[in-house]
Amino acid sequence: MLRSLFLFDMTFWLYLAALGLYVGYVLAKRPGMQLAPAGHPGFGEEDSPWAAQIGQVATIVTIFGWVVNTLALGTRAFERMQLSGTFAPWSNQFEAMAYVSWAIILGYVLLEFRYRIKAIGAFVVGIGFIAMGAASLLPYRYQTAEPLVPALNSYWIYIHVSVTLTSYAAFAMAGGLGLMYLVKERAERRGSRSNFVAALPDLETIDELGYKAIMVGFPLLAFGIILGAMWANYAWGGYWSWDPKETWSLIVWLIYGAYIHARMTHGWEGHRAAVYAVFGFLMVIFCFWGVNFLLSGLHAYA
Amino acid sequence: MNGEQPAVVEQGAARKSSPGLGWNELSAELVELFASIKLAMFLFLVLAMMATIGTVIQQNERPEVYIKEYGEEAYRWFLRLGFTDVYHTWWFTGLLGLLCINSLTCFHKRFPAVWRSMQQDKVNVALPFIKGMKHQAEIPVAGSKEGVAEGIVQMLAEKGYRVLAKNDAKEATLYGTKGVMGRVGAHMAHLSATVIVLGGLIGSYWGFQEFGVCLEGQTYHIPKGNFDLKVDKFWIDYHPNGSVKSYNSTLTVLEGGKEQLTKTISVNDPLVYKGIWFYQSSYGDAWDRVEVARLNIKDKDADKVVGTVDLEWNKEKSLDNLGLKLAVTDFVADFGFNSSEKKVFSKTVEHANPAIKLTITEQPGPKAATVQATPWIFYNYPDLFDIKDSKYRFELVGYQPKKFTGLQITKDPGVNIVWIGSTMIVVGITLSSFIYHRRLWAKVIPREGGVTVHIGGSTHKSQIDFQKEFRKLTERIKTMST
Repeated sequence: MLRSLFLFDMTFWLYLAALGLYVGYVLAKRPGMQLAPAGHPGFGEEDSPWAAQIGQVATIVTIFGWVVNTLALGTRAFERMQLSGTFAPWSNQFEAMAYVSWAIILGYVLLEFRYRIKAIGAFVVGIGFIAMGAASLLPYRYQTAEPLVPALNSYWIYIHVSVTLTSYAAFAMAGGLGLMYLVKERAERRGSRSNFVAALPDLETIDELGYKAIMVGFPLLAFGIILGAMWANYAWGGYWSWDPKETWSLIVWLIYGAYIHARMTHGWEGHRAAVYAVFGFLMVIFCFWGVNFLLSGLHAYA
Repeated sequence: MNGEQPAVVEQGAARKSSPGLGWNELSAELVELFASIKLAMFLFLVLAMMATIGTVIQQNERPEVYIKEYGEEAYRWFLRLGFTDVYHTWWFTGLLGLLCINSLTCFHKRFPAVWRSMQQDKVNVALPFIKGMKHQAEIPVAGSKEGVAEGIVQMLAEKGYRVLAKNDAKEATLYGTKGVMGRVGAHMAHLSATVIVLGGLIGSYWGFQEFGVCLEGQTYHIPKGNFDLKVDKFWIDYHPNGSVKSYNSTLTVLEGGKEQLTKTISVNDPLVYKGIWFYQSSYGDAWDRVEVARLNIKDKDADKVVGTVDLEWNKEKSLDNLGLKLAVTDFVADFGFNSSEKKVFSKTVEHANPAIKLTITEQPGPKAATVQATPWIFYNYPDLFDIKDSKYRFELVGYQPKKFTGLQITKDPGVNIVWIGSTMIVVGITLSSFIYHRRLWAKVIPREGGVTVHIGGSTHKSQIDFQKEFRKLTERIKTMST
């Protein structure tokens, strides 16, 4: 137990370091780096290798943190196996949060490798770090690997929970990108030409990436809800019982469904889409956290 | 989830009907209204809001709960608006119905165009159409018209495009398309809403959900399945740390007295027989029988306990040294007496006032007559009744109630339809999220010393990915000249 808790702790600090490095990267980057014409070393040009180096270290630290996160989840799975014969390392609120931050960081690293935009890390790694931090703020008794209650003791926990949590991670990513969009937009409107603004990718790219993240989360959440319905059909005696958690996951799904349809009419790009992505993510947070702590119901296990 | 693209192609044909207010115009207006994406968004958001109400206000509670929490006036409004059972109100069902109509109309209106574009494509487009596209380029290439066209066809085919070409004397026109399944997926998801709602309706009309409290060793008739169910055993497994690992019941299905199937069910593992599902739902202490009861036997004269005995249910036990034969023949958890029928019964299922019926056969001495008595012995009131002629007084000091197992018995003939709808929605949304429909048109027009390639493309989403692809494509066409 202590071994996995130590690794979770280490993940937390590594993500904090990664976040700091990404913020440093964004602040260090100079507008001159992109705007200066080739062959004319302009103002701030000497800062660019500096920024590039910070960026490189940030990526390395993030990946290392993710590996430690993976190890922590793996160790926890092993501990669970020894304790009670089930291994799903997302069997309580703490583990679920740690898994979500694992998924967020994985998603971010893939995004960085594919699109080569590091500045996003300042927002998305931030959310992954907050998820991990919120998990470690939970009281100790929530952090330990208690055996599963009979209702959870099923192979469905492996797929239903992981799929649903992965969709939360995708929505978190979209929320982070939405926030980034709004920050950049605001700075641009004020006419700011700071390093910070210049480091961020252009608005259209942020918008499109946010949309992509939602397009990953939306089918995953649908799949997660359906898997939950299948599980409920085995455990609760009916595929749908309007339990607060399942209702809220449906609400979240409907909210993103409305967004996806709104985007089709081409009115909902840019600012509105960004605001909506942040709003959707707040709803996800409520579905994930609020329901567990504020509303009672069949999902109230942890 | 359909973009504007088909509408653009069709616009000319759709608006031909003469003005007036006939049935055709009305139905066209209705289709327009019900197929609209705005209505879909509205329904999604209103459904989300209404569903929220049901999670904030507790559902299906007793009136006192609401009155205590919200006051009487509010409760009256709750009843009027159906807020105490939001998900089964006419208006919630109505919203779901509208959502079905919405998605079906959308399918009706937009799918034919998708279908047509799968069957046959519009190759012939005018040059301004290509120039007006969001992604477009004009590339001079050295080479013959046929040679360049051939090269582009190959390039697109390699990328997985389905390519159609038309070679005229003046120009060659090419059309490439990919990922139409993304559109088909969206429509599959649209249909799924109706399928799922249909499955739900079938379940609520022809299905049932009952709850049975069953005791070990008893056989129960299941009238709706016309078979019997015997509960062989109920038990609880524990983890080493004392927390519950599983609740289990062993059940046997009997049909015409013949055993058909035996299965041990637990919380995540129901028994299914003839479409009827038996779930391990709860358990508790039985209110009408005990496993074992412990009695103290007191000598009345000496006022001293002369023996303690554990009696099993309905099993006579002889205590030769005391001249006693004892048996527990009845039990109630909450003693009640119906004076008109002269019957003892349990008022509730709570163990509030437990009592056992003791059947006593006493042989006070070798020559004395046997004393027979069947007094009720109360756990809470040890000295309530005195048994005349008996040397003893009996005190119920403890008992172990028999456990009952709570079984939920469910039949839902709509569930498989719901799974079909679920598969459709997951497959449909996944297709439409990850595959996007792309269309490219190119015209190769000869000029002096080569040809000019006009290429344009459109997609209904994933603009940056498409932009990347389009840029790469145009780069490759440029390099064809060398």
